[in-house]
Amino acid sequence: MLELPPLSLYIHYPWCVKKCPYCDFNSHENGDKSGYIEELLIDLDEDLSYIQSRSIHSIFIGGGTPSLMSEKDLSQLFTGLRQKLNFDQDIEITLETNPGTFEIEKFKAFKKIGINRLSIGVQSFNNQNLKVLGRIHSAQEATKACIEASKIFDNFNIDLMYGLQGQSTVECLSDLQQAIDLNPTHISFYQLTIEPNTLFAKFPPLLPKDDDIWSMGEAGVNLLEQHGFSRYEVSAYSKQPSKHNINYWEFGDYLGIGAGAHGKITLIDDQKMIRTLKSKAPKDYIENRKKTTEPIDNPAFEFMLNALRLKEGFDESLFTSRTGGSIPSIHDKLNQAKDLGLLKQRGSKLYPTQKGFDFLNDLQALFL
Amino acid sequence: MKNIRNFSIIAHIDHGKSTIADRFIQFCGGLSDREMSEQVLDSMDIEKERGITIKSQSVTLDYKANNGEIYQLNFIDTPGHVDFSYEVSRSLSACEGALLIVDASQGVEAQTVANCYTALEQGLEVVAVLNKIDLPAAEPERVIEEIEDVIGIEATDAVHASAKSGIGIQDILEQIVEKIPAPEGEIEAPIKALIIDSWFDNYLGVVSLIRVFDGEIKAKTKIKIFSNGDEHSVDEVGVFTPKRVKTDSLKAGEVGFLIANIKNIDGAPVGDTITSAKNSVTEALEGFKPVQPRVFAGIFPISGEDYEKFRDALAKLRLNDAALQYEPESSDALGFGFRIGFLGLLHMEIVQERLEREYDLDLITTAPTVIYEILDTKGNIHHVDSPSKMPDNQAIAEFREPIITANILVTDEYVGAVISLCIEKRGMQKSITYMGRQVQLVYELPLNEVVLDFFDRLKSVSRGFASMDYQFTRYQESDLIRLDIMINQEPVDALALIIHRDDSVRKGRDLAEKMKELIPRQMFDVAIQACIGVKIISRANVKALRKNVTAKCYGGDVSRKRKLLDKQKKGKKRMRSVGRVDIPQEAFLAVLHID
Repeated sequence: MLELPPLSLYIHYPWCVKKCPYCDFNSHENGDKSGYIEELLIDLDEDLSYIQSRSIHSIFIGGGTPSLMSEKDLSQLFTGLRQKLNFDQDIEITLETNPGTFEIEKFKAFKKIGINRLSIGVQSFNNQNLKVLGRIHSAQEATKACIEASKIFDNFNIDLMYGLQGQSTVECLSDLQQAIDLNPTHISFYQLTIEPNTLFAKFPPLLPKDDDIWSMGEAGVNLLEQHGFSRYEVSAYSKQPSKHNINYWEFGDYLGIGAGAHGKITLIDDQKMIRTLKSKAPKDYIENRKKTTEPIDNPAFEFMLNALRLKEGFDESLFTSRTGGSIPSIHDKLNQAKDLGLLKQRGSKLYPTQKGFDFLNDLQALFL
Repeated sequence: MKNIRNFSIIAHIDHGKSTIADRFIQFCGGLSDREMSEQVLDSMDIEKERGITIKSQSVTLDYKANNGEIYQLNFIDTPGHVDFSYEVSRSLSACEGALLIVDASQGVEAQTVANCYTALEQGLEVVAVLNKIDLPAAEPERVIEEIEDVIGIEATDAVHASAKSGIGIQDILEQIVEKIPAPEGEIEAPIKALIIDSWFDNYLGVVSLIRVFDGEIKAKTKIKIFSNGDEHSVDEVGVFTPKRVKTDSLKAGEVGFLIANIKNIDGAPVGDTITSAKNSVTEALEGFKPVQPRVFAGIFPISGEDYEKFRDALAKLRLNDAALQYEPESSDALGFGFRIGFLGLLHMEIVQERLEREYDLDLITTAPTVIYEILDTKGNIHHVDSPSKMPDNQAIAEFREPIITANILVTDEYVGAVISLCIEKRGMQKSITYMGRQVQLVYELPLNEVVLDFFDRLKSVSRGFASMDYQFTRYQESDLIRLDIMINQEPVDALALIIHRDDSVRKGRDLAEKMKELIPRQMFDVAIQACIGVKIISRANVKALRKNVTAKCYGGDVSRKRKLLDKQKKGKKRMRSVGRVDIPQEAFLAVLHID
């Protein structure tokens, strides 16, 4: 039986100063931004029926580069959000930010408006790597941004990549150590992957060998764990896990507003779940916004796609309440995963093994 | 009847048979220009892609000759590859003549010689044509001499033609009318017709291509299939122009199709005789000699659920591929499938491809083998077409392998390379004859060496200037052994091979190395071992994959992740799990890719 899960809100801001060659998110360098904030709020109005009396568990403003938003625009957005929504007492509100001088000066204003968590897109503390990745900030700016963030926010994340062109394990660990020394509450440590339809797909950088990248990843995990950043999700390490991300991984609900934003909603009266998607091109979104919805036809698979990313896995009862399905219906697949050494069970708790984490694609594909 | 001409074309691959056939159709107006797609007679996708003809087809054309009379020309297309020489003899037995088409720059090839002899043996009139006459490298004088020397037929007045440029087409048609005799037969006599080919149409049932020797067949005629005695009422007869066109009747001397509501796919076997239901003939037509498959391989559906579908597909395919023989086989590694007999390696590839394309099956083929003869210690002889059917070593008194006589034609500059290849393949030279620039080599070779990659190698060492034809000669004792392959310590029956002892170490090593390249990295190490009995002769390791995880967060967009996993899963569909190891299709045929 489906139950209503916590409800988060994702807001997409689709512009960047410069598009990075590895990025396959919905981001654009140019275009008229006027009217976007107003449109976001109208977009939200049309999704209000999905709330079904819930308050908001967390908000994540991602992009693009949402830190490009002016103080005025952000204020306007939040005034609107507060009018339309009930925020949880302990709501987590994250803003993705670029670590540039321009943004650093706005950190205080972000806090004042209501942002209580920053996610800083550092990617590397090595200027050469930053150049290859097409980032517009320098290592010095990244360090400064983190120091400033730690003064203003109790809770901030550093995004860091590994497996970069010409990178050695030593260099990778040095990047990580610098991140750790800046004392964030959360580090996202993830491998650079070449996605289709990106500049890197067309002109691939010379990446280290697979085996070397894996060694790098393993060395990174060890270093992070040594410094108290426990790996609670495949690529997330923290002293304080992100509520917003956990809600994703536990197959919770989220409204998605903004150009190309995805949402996932449980319709409790109909006992079904849907996905929502908004017009992708910013111009279309502002001028002629459309929403498409589609039913989630394989909830068990989608649940696994998310929940198996969590180190602690999930409780059988969570599977039942979030998918409406029964554990016996996936019994064979669970056993298959256990036989392959990818999954373990303790009481009613199911969780991926170390091997399951390493071969997560294989583990998830079992439920396809 | 005196204005009917039934003929086939004999030609080596690439010498332009299909193009000439197309020109005939165009010349006689069988199809409008719009309908004319290149090489209309090669109707199977595989035929067009590979540029070869596998199945016979027929076309009936009306030609107005220079003498003012209209002739009905029935052309029965034939395949050119050695694997399909059986189909050639089938087509020839419905004809009174054959065109021998020779590339004016390449000269005579072994396969052409063999087919030409078949035609002469069957009493056909052979008319020579030099094609590609407009190529700068054309040497008509030399080639004419070669035809006369090697084949022994008169060729001085052979038509000089170029099918591609449309040169000499009418001259060929005139020669067909002049030189090829008209058929003989009695229209009033009881029906006697030969089934040249049959295929299954989902709407019409069995459609047969027939040559009527005596009598006349119309709609509603009651006919009898000679071999099984089944009687049917004819629904429709007609000809291919090459479109299927209904006609009032098929009379003695004519070639065309027959549909008689035969739903059973074995109902009208190729080579069988059709006669009248009443007043039947008492003796069947000679038909053609049943063909013996020489190469055997196991074919298994990747998914066990497809077994029934696979069985039906084989039954349908066999209807118009009489050379195909099969019986159920089960393998520890691959489950239930069939042991299938083929004429040769190309035939095997084509059957697998047709099964996969036309019947939408995913299949695994095991390494091809030949039939061995084993004399056991009790004096019994066993015929073994699969390594898994070999008796215990102690029980074998004598191990014999099939030997063929190969007739190879090659231009003089590549003789050395071809001889080296034959020696490498354990060949024994029987004779060597120089005929102008062509050299004829006769070798005795073990068939199992020939079925693997001999044709490809022959082509590559001679840069395409060698051709070959062969016949089974005898069984001969040989020092053969079974090479087993173990994957992670488990022997995999479907990978075992029978090979000569002298080659075993080298082949075992090459095979393990090749399989290492073909088996993808998995969650654990995969050890590939080649062994003879309990002795391990080589080992290769596929190192474990360390990770398979895409850790990126897609901001709630699961569709991309789903696509990625779907793709990964599709890749796995082309593999078969043996134990816990996923083995791709190609790895089962790795032996074909080692020298």
